Amino acid sequence: MGFKRKKGDGDGEEMESEGRGKPSFNGGEKRHVILPSMIKNKDKRSKVYAKQKHEKKLEKQKKIRERDAAEKRALELGEEPPQKMIPKTIENTREADETVCRPDDEELFADIDADEFNPVLRREVTPKILITTCRFNSTRGPAFISELLSVIPNSHYQKRGTYDLKKIVEYAKKKDFTSLIVVHTNRREPDALLIIGLPNGPTAHFKLSNLVLRKDIKNHGNPTSHEPELVLNNFTTRLGNRVGRFIQSLFPPDPNFHGRRVVTFHNQRDFIFFRHHRYIFETKEIKQSDKGKDGAAQERVKPRLQECGPRFTLKLVTLQHGTFDTKGGEFEWVHKPEMDTSRRRFFL
Amino acid sequence: MPRVIPPENLGCPPIRALTFDSLGLIKVTEARGKERGTPTVVNTWGEMNASRTVLAASIDDRLRNPLLAVARKDGNVEILNPCNGDLHFTYSVYGDDGCSSEENEISALHLFRKKIDEQAERSCTLLTCTKKGDVSLRSVKFPDAHSDSTDDASIKTWKACGSGEILVGKVDGSENFSLFGGRRVEATIWDLEQCTKIWSAKSPPKDNLGIFTPTWFTSATFLSNEDHRKFVTGTKSHQVRLYDISTQRRPVLSFDFRETAITAIAEDPDGHTIYVGNASADLASFDIRTGKLLGSFLGKCSGSIRSVVRHPEHPVIASCGLDRYLRVYDVKTRQLVSAVFLKQHLTGLVFDSGFTGEETAVANTVVESETEEIMDQEEEEIEETPVKRKKSKKEKRGREIVLEDKADEENEDEAEKAPVKTKKSKKEKRSRENVPEGEEKDELRSKKSREHKKRTKKVKHNQED
Repeated sequence: MGFKRKKGDGDGEEMESEGRGKPSFNGGEKRHVILPSMIKNKDKRSKVYAKQKHEKKLEKQKKIRERDAAEKRALELGEEPPQKMIPKTIENTREADETVCRPDDEELFADIDADEFNPVLRREVTPKILITTCRFNSTRGPAFISELLSVIPNSHYQKRGTYDLKKIVEYAKKKDFTSLIVVHTNRREPDALLIIGLPNGPTAHFKLSNLVLRKDIKNHGNPTSHEPELVLNNFTTRLGNRVGRFIQSLFPPDPNFHGRRVVTFHNQRDFIFFRHHRYIFETKEIKQSDKGKDGAAQERVKPRLQECGPRFTLKLVTLQHGTFDTKGGEFEWVHKPEMDTSRRRFFL
Repeated sequence: MPRVIPPENLGCPPIRALTFDSLGLIKVTEARGKERGTPTVVNTWGEMNASRTVLAASIDDRLRNPLLAVARKDGNVEILNPCNGDLHFTYSVYGDDGCSSEENEISALHLFRKKIDEQAERSCTLLTCTKKGDVSLRSVKFPDAHSDSTDDASIKTWKACGSGEILVGKVDGSENFSLFGGRRVEATIWDLEQCTKIWSAKSPPKDNLGIFTPTWFTSATFLSNEDHRKFVTGTKSHQVRLYDISTQRRPVLSFDFRETAITAIAEDPDGHTIYVGNASADLASFDIRTGKLLGSFLGKCSGSIRSVVRHPEHPVIASCGLDRYLRVYDVKTRQLVSAVFLKQHLTGLVFDSGFTGEETAVANTVVESETEEIMDQEEEEIEETPVKRKKSKKEKRGREIVLEDKADEENEDEAEKAPVKTKKSKKEKRSRENVPEGEEKDELRSKKSREHKKRTKKVKHNQED
């Protein structure tokens, strides 16, 4: 190795030889810049690459050091620190979308007031959920359903039997249910969630993935039977707003804050992440040695989270107008391949 | 391979589209300028109320005094001025008692273009049809002011079906015949003068598995303006069917389109192209002579298409539906020209063909340039007075020209329009002669049925091939 490294020091000489190797490339003029990819010897080429990479790394470190120093200096002098750079992510370089809801849009609010979830969200009707399964379910399916029952208050499980889904919808309408959730299982693994609004609400079909049950979560807590708080993140577009309101209509509108139970639906890049937590506010005395920040605060309140309940990811497949009807139903939103022309386009 | 869009196709010809939505609003979208206009929402009429959802609309875009009829969910039919949205007249379909509005919504509405009496300038004739099959044909007169005007000189009502739900109602180009169909209601043709049923379809036979698909028509259109004998329907079982009254009661041609219900069908003025939209947001054009798919319109459309309309002059079609977008496509290249987000579920769409964008655009630019210099108070005057004058003059001129063009086009169409099959055309003639006699008709029918069997066999062979 040592021998090789020594040789590697003389790669300038090697470049020259490379230049000599291709005199006709640029006429009689000698090329000063030689791309490492033009080097044919792999050993030497990789050395050149390694050197370049190392130089880049050093440059970057230097830049970071300079930036930090500038910031420190600005702090010491009491000036405004230079602005921090915001990294580019797929979310913040998202394609401009005209359907994003704006708070000053009157038509939007009128439309929202007229939609199917309004009676539930205006507290005229208390939500009552029926949960059922596909025809065959086993192992993780029932376990998941029992956890869903603990997450969603006022939800009831009924065996599917051999009934048609349309018959079940009729039954649930008659029994004053406000929503129907069907957990679809494939190969003993829940893989889809069908949420049907009743009596005439939409039908949303979600793909379900990454299901982790409660017992598989480390240090999980056990949820209480209080009404949970609901966190809906990033449902920005008109479609997202509708889906968000749909999810909202599954839960009772007034949470019991004594329960300190939170259900989160976090939308990121059209994937809806479900999490279920308990939280607690702990008052902690800060040790004297730990006075890095402010020093004066002796006691501070610190919230702590404990995850409980299942953890899964949803992705919207279709949103159908009216109740479940695959043959004749009208779709409000279906995904089509021609929409997949950009990875920075999101629909929720 | 991604299709490369030539840049000259982008940009919208001057069109004016009125869309109707689930909140009962009427939105006017205009594309101005000579070539490369982008449609924008110009006006919004009406108040937001979910019970006033527009179910059906019909426009009479004649030169003088154009009218727009709108049927709402609460049973009211409104007659408006499509130029400025002024309400002329309102009446309720259910009469004064206003009962049974839940089950018996209006499913079809047609505003007649031909005048019954030429003297009465401010009158119109309306055909309405409710889901239970109550058809009413009434002529309405309305005075200039907002005074009382319920001078319903003639109301003809009849029942178009015994049971089932009527979902489709269309009136043909000559406005003497109408077509009804729906859930458990076969397609029927009615003579509007006598109010009698002159023809009804027969449901197609069971398929090779012995399965009978129940009747459920969701959309229909007459194939051309002059001919009431041929019409195309779309069913909930994703079938498109061509019927010809003069040959047989079963469909002459039927083919499947994708896998969800067909929700909208529009015809092209060339007489053989139809545009089909379905509930899972697919839009395609077919040649109805052969039943072949010409191509589909890709426009990132994601919601069920409620309405497809072909512009009478410009080569564009527009579609709208549950994805809250109005989309305009070029007919020839089948490329999306533009899409306008209109915020609500859209239920209907009509084109105002009397609109020529250039003049108003010029007027507007003039106004804008002037307003930059002149103070705010003067601005209003300028905007109101001269623009209107210019508009009215130039629009009229434009319309006249347009009309001439139209006539030319029609002549050409007639010349171009080759009959679908030569046999059929002969039969049509024969049947036209034989319409009054019943006995010969039966004979003909038996012949036709025989021939139909042959034809269906052929079709089967083709399918197998």
